[in-house]
Amino acid sequence: MAHQAHAYHMVDPSPWPLTGAISALLMTSGLATWWHYKTTTLLFLGTTLLLLTMFQWWRDIIRESTFQGHHSTPVQKGLRYGMVLFITSEVFFFIGFFWAFYHSSLAPAIELGGLWPPTGITPLDPFEVPLLNTAVLLASGVTVTWAHHTIMEGARKPALQSLTLTVLLGLYFTALQAMEYYEAPFTLADGVYGCTFFVATGFHGLHVIIGTTFLMVCLLRHTHYHFTSNHHFGFEAGAWYWHFVDVVWLFLYISIYWWGS
Amino acid sequence: MLKGSFHLTNADNGAMTETTLLTVQRTEVLVAAQAYCTYVSKTWKILTFILALPGVGVCMANAFLKMKAHSHEQPEFVPYTHLRIRTKKFPWGDGNHTLFHNPHTNPLPDGYESSHH
Repeated sequence: MAHQAHAYHMVDPSPWPLTGAISALLMTSGLATWWHYKTTTLLFLGTTLLLLTMFQWWRDIIRESTFQGHHSTPVQKGLRYGMVLFITSEVFFFIGFFWAFYHSSLAPAIELGGLWPPTGITPLDPFEVPLLNTAVLLASGVTVTWAHHTIMEGARKPALQSLTLTVLLGLYFTALQAMEYYEAPFTLADGVYGCTFFVATGFHGLHVIIGTTFLMVCLLRHTHYHFTSNHHFGFEAGAWYWHFVDVVWLFLYISIYWWGS
Repeated sequence: MLKGSFHLTNADNGAMTETTLLTVQRTEVLVAAQAYCTYVSKTWKILTFILALPGVGVCMANAFLKMKAHSHEQPEFVPYTHLRIRTKKFPWGDGNHTLFHNPHTNPLPDGYESSHH
């Protein structure tokens, strides 16, 4: 029987990259048809296909690594590089929205009253719910670090406790932010203030939801004994992503909520 | 966890072989590493329950008290042209309400929908 003479993982042919690309096409054209022709069929199809792609692709990676043992040290190293590069690209994504915010707020247009916040805008008090949100995310950074150390230590129950706490804090943040969105006296349609506020915090909130989901999957996997004390990169990638989400919030809080009020 | 004592000598002449010594040393390193791991994760556990979660609690109380101290009235409506922009209808509902529309706090371009709470 032939064996590979190297430590790398030559992946079996898979349909998921194709279905992922098709879902991207369906979602983009779906958004266009929704906005221009009021039909949601393409968008719905694209979203469904995206969810199926993500579930099956990542399920396959778990099968290849945890159950088939393909993730040798060099393979893991490549995955580490990959996650770092991906998070870096996301940092640049957010840099764009911070650029838009500072461009609009450092030299406010005369149409806004020449000041920031613009005339007629009542900004949120940064020391109410936004401060609570900051505490929640910072606390979740502590709990996820606690979780990491318990996994490395091989302590099962504390790992489940700390991971669960982290997920709960993430859900609490999302709930608080949804409430803030509903209670805010300004909307997305309120000029460049509303636009920069809701686009930047909105994309951040989406990333919180993604990060929380990632950590929930880690929690589920840990209950099924997928992680060992020295091989748990799935968890580490989730923790890195979570710290990134936390740091973006800190920048949002300082820039938009605090300085911008 | 490793318990019990180690039999350090081999049967023949009572002296320790190099293999036995290395095994013992490796075991001692592993025991020490495990103890360190437990120490570090306990530190983060303490940080969680003494600093992080009480911090969240304090901020919860603060936010709750500040919210109660708010005036509950609607701010006066001024039909500024740079706010409540409607260049294109929203693709939901009547096209005039934002996604998180709150009738009490969000006036439409021509004013509040409900004039009383």
